[in-house]
Amino acid sequence: MTSGLDRAVDAALLTDDGPVGRRARWRSVLRTLAVRPGFVAALLLVLFVVAAAFAPTLFASHDPYATAPVDRMMSPGTGGHLFGTDELGRDIWSRVVHGAALTIKATLIALGIAVVAGLTLGVLSGFFGGIVDALLMRFVDVMLAIPSLLLALAIVTALGFGTVPVAIAVGIGIVPGFARTTRAEVLRVKTLPYVEAARAGGASWPRVLVRHVLPNSWGPVAVLAVLDTGVAIIAIASLSFLGFGAAPPSAEWGTLISAGRGYLVSAPWVPLLPGLFVAAVVLSLNHISKTFQELER
Amino acid sequence: MTRFPRLAVALASATLASLALTACGGGSDDAGPAGDPVSGGTLKVAFWPDNAAFPCVDPFQTYWIEHRTVIRNLADSLTDQDPETGEITPWLADSWEVAPDGLSYTFTLKDGVTFSDGTPVDAEAVKANVEGWLATVKATNGSAFGASYVVGLNGAEVVDPLTVKLTFDQPNSSFLQATSTTNLALISPASFQNTPADRCAGDFVASGAFTLESYSPNELLKIVKRDDYAWGSELADNTKAPYLDAVEFSYVAEDSVRTGNLTSGAVDIAWPRNPFTVEDRALIDSAGAAIESRSLPGVSQTFFANVTEGRPLADRAVRDALHQAIDIETYAATIYGDDYPLVEGGFDTTTPYFTSQADKLKYDPEGAEKTLDDAGWKVGDDGYRYKDGQKLTLVNLVPATSPGEELIQDQLKQVGIEVVIDVTPNAERPAKITGGNYDLVANYFTRADPGALQFILDPNLANSKALATNASTPETLAELQRLFAQAIQTTDQEQTEQAYADLQDLLIDEGVTFPIFERVQYAGVSSSVGGFAFTSESFLRLNDVWKQQ
Amino acid sequence: MKRYVLSRLAQAVGVLFAAFTVTFAVLYLLPSDPVALQLGAAGIETDKLTDTQLEAAKAQYGLDRPVAEQYLSTLGGFVSGDLGTSIAKQQPVAGLIGDRLGPTISLSLAAGALSLLVGTGLAYLASYVRWRPARLVLSRLPSLGASFPQFFIGLVAIQLFAFQLGWLPATGSRGPESLLLPAVTISVLTSSLLAQVLMRSFDETLSQPYVVTARAKGLSRAAVQWRHGFRNAILPAMTILGLLVGLTVTSAIVVETVFARNGVGKLAQESVLSQDVPVVLAIVTLAAAIFVLVNLVVDLLYPLLDPRIVQLPRKVAVR
Repeated sequence: MTSGLDRAVDAALLTDDGPVGRRARWRSVLRTLAVRPGFVAALLLVLFVVAAAFAPTLFASHDPYATAPVDRMMSPGTGGHLFGTDELGRDIWSRVVHGAALTIKATLIALGIAVVAGLTLGVLSGFFGGIVDALLMRFVDVMLAIPSLLLALAIVTALGFGTVPVAIAVGIGIVPGFARTTRAEVLRVKTLPYVEAARAGGASWPRVLVRHVLPNSWGPVAVLAVLDTGVAIIAIASLSFLGFGAAPPSAEWGTLISAGRGYLVSAPWVPLLPGLFVAAVVLSLNHISKTFQELER
Repeated sequence: MTRFPRLAVALASATLASLALTACGGGSDDAGPAGDPVSGGTLKVAFWPDNAAFPCVDPFQTYWIEHRTVIRNLADSLTDQDPETGEITPWLADSWEVAPDGLSYTFTLKDGVTFSDGTPVDAEAVKANVEGWLATVKATNGSAFGASYVVGLNGAEVVDPLTVKLTFDQPNSSFLQATSTTNLALISPASFQNTPADRCAGDFVASGAFTLESYSPNELLKIVKRDDYAWGSELADNTKAPYLDAVEFSYVAEDSVRTGNLTSGAVDIAWPRNPFTVEDRALIDSAGAAIESRSLPGVSQTFFANVTEGRPLADRAVRDALHQAIDIETYAATIYGDDYPLVEGGFDTTTPYFTSQADKLKYDPEGAEKTLDDAGWKVGDDGYRYKDGQKLTLVNLVPATSPGEELIQDQLKQVGIEVVIDVTPNAERPAKITGGNYDLVANYFTRADPGALQFILDPNLANSKALATNASTPETLAELQRLFAQAIQTTDQEQTEQAYADLQDLLIDEGVTFPIFERVQYAGVSSSVGGFAFTSESFLRLNDVWKQQ
Repeated sequence: MKRYVLSRLAQAVGVLFAAFTVTFAVLYLLPSDPVALQLGAAGIETDKLTDTQLEAAKAQYGLDRPVAEQYLSTLGGFVSGDLGTSIAKQQPVAGLIGDRLGPTISLSLAAGALSLLVGTGLAYLASYVRWRPARLVLSRLPSLGASFPQFFIGLVAIQLFAFQLGWLPATGSRGPESLLLPAVTISVLTSSLLAQVLMRSFDETLSQPYVVTARAKGLSRAAVQWRHGFRNAILPAMTILGLLVGLTVTSAIVVETVFARNGVGKLAQESVLSQDVPVVLAIVTLAAAIFVLVNLVVDLLYPLLDPRIVQLPRKVAVR
């Protein structure tokens, strides 16, 4: 659904100057970051989510699946429940923290597919050029012609429902963006003087590729990956909202919002707090990638 | 006791107090506007989503509760059934006589009743309906819902223009009640010239207080009043033309949106399928609207097991433990509110011949653990039970996830039973049931007669043969079939009563059904609407309904 | 020029054909058992059937033929306007989609108009306002708008405008007033996207020397921005038009589900739930066709706005 966003930004990226990739430059980058509180806050939130994904028990004391009917629908902050409790008395904060594991897993699968497939397509296309480039890029054009959420729906229809099929579907939907960005970078790096020098010096193509082209092309790809993490999170949440996601009682983020939507009026925190948390994470990712982009200009 | 956030406490307790009065009775009398009924206006009713698989408003074919609710007001039946007493009362038939051998029913019809195309509702018309029903059963290969109401019926004879005799191959003690249902409501003889599919789309005429104006599945269904209507059932106060000019039924997917539509005044009646949540009831109450409720007669919301050899529930002890470990009291209080009626057996309490099994369904986790321990299911390191290396895992097949399923999952976890909630789209459900890849599957059936359960449990009659076959052991099934036959193929009231009482014991004792909750039909009714009434099937009766202008 | 038009046309047809092929491959080659999947959608339980019954059921739905043959006949059908038959609903797919097209078209148009208005307005304001904090806030708004899941925005909008304030109906597809909330929900994302592209383009334009000159000549900032900013922003905005239309169409799936509108998006959701393969195939192909058509129109209009394009047809990647 929102992977359109990455395409637009990706389009903009194509016109940007790429990273220089020198150490001194990065040191100054880090110094600049320190004076950007928004960026630091965003980074901390994202780091927190990643940590929560791998060690949720460090951050949440309650069992996310244990029901406690007596404690149902407690408002945020009462009885030791930071985000309140849901209709079965489960601690919502714990469910959000534990939900990070499932969401991040799905996101990583999606990104993994997108990065590997996108990088491969982009490098092959940019590096070899000619007929390979023409064919691969036409293929990418075709993928772009199918709106990504619809492509994802077709894949989910074929594979069935659940976290993994949804992650695969979302991942495939964002491959084209990576392919294009990688190709553009490879094309740029390929013409850099020292790469040409290495070639002239008799280095083999694979060696040039691995030693010179890839290390210098990853900048914009990384920015895109950060941005697409947010895109993937929203897409995965949307698909689980539509009813194609993880099996209960797994507390995936999209499922949390979807399951809580019946209480919007009577107990608004049940869907709203997880929803705002998701939005904050996505916003942070967008902000981080935007900051990187600005710094690289 | 349920705890509410501070702000909502006052509101909620006020609601609960008022709910206690209406929880399972016929509905509150003090609801609605004061004064005499006035004519005119369009009533707006919000339903839950239409039946995507079978959008059908033909009385004989449809099973969908909402369609039957609409049909109740479009088409009249030979008899009616008193929701308070269960007694069968006259409607299109003034009187009837059942032959002592139970092989024929003779109905004497009211004079002067017409279908909305002007043709008379006479003995010939009833005969045409009987023939039409039997033809539809044949044409749909027995899948038409009405087939379950006409078991044993073989034809009809016209005795005189207003007297008709229906004949049977074998007695069917629930047939008289069947004639009061929407499924055996009469439509004009000419309507049977249309194909079953055309009738589903609304291509039929009947004699009801309203006529069908339009039906766009899952969008809008509109009915308009029939001005010359004058033969309403005596169970309604108004037997003449209805007060309302028209009624619009819309289909709203989200429960909270349906409730919101009522509280914001966009609709006059919110008619949910699943009972309102505590929160929704509080909202409706605070908006000044009334909450009407009545248990739906028929099979309660119940799990049916898969007792096939090799599945955990083949073990009788596990089935017994399941009854002990499911806390239906907490379930009702948590999901539907403190005052929500408890389920008391395989049938809802409004079903005729109902006998309570409540004492066998008491929550007893220690008892469950003991039962399982004794049967050799020992607790492993992960807290779940194992026997001979097999983990005690039950697969619960559901069409969509709900808090209730997760609550039961957690309740059973407490005694060491793992429940896997398998969300399976309706398209794949039959295949999964046939394949036997499940242990629990929930089902229900709305009909004011215990015979309804046959159409879930008897493989010869059931919609899903596989579910019926898997639900009980061959010995139990034989016993069930014997009891159903005893109850139905007789004209002896006492024999029927005894057989159904035995049947209800058997369902729990042998672990055939695992009741989860009483199915209560709720309706949120705007304060500007008067005359609300439920039928004996807990459908909406519109004859007396009026709207403040 | 004629050559340009023809080549664009051929390219569009080629992309559409390939999109159909990719979708067909996903739906017919990816499932472990496509026959069971499709017969399951029809309510037929394959493992309950005898071999002869299974063969008969397969034949009824044309699933007994080799995939290549199914592909060719489906493709032939699509070319001649026959989109096949829904397995779950047993109705022609073309009719199903046709019945549902109205609400989706009106929703897309309303959302499109709204996005255009809000997107350009926001971008214009962001580059016009000089007070830094306000400028910062305005420039960050699109990023915020793109961070909320659409179904979440929709639910909050229903809650706020339909239930609390009672201004607009929460659901349904009747009457223009039922259009506003879903259109706003969609446009939060699409206008954010448009605003982002426009803001970048405005910033670039306004730092050009000729703009500085124009300012020096005494033109007001508003006038400069109007004359130069917009004219130069049209081209980049047009390149994302196809993307925006595609995004609007897919947003309809989520938004129509939230607002219970009986459109094609809702049909798509229902069809995936019931795994109705022919309907999914037709809807995906239709969406691709719309995307391709919009891009074709943009491509054909482009030379009129910027004659240089004809000489360099492949340099501008229409995304």
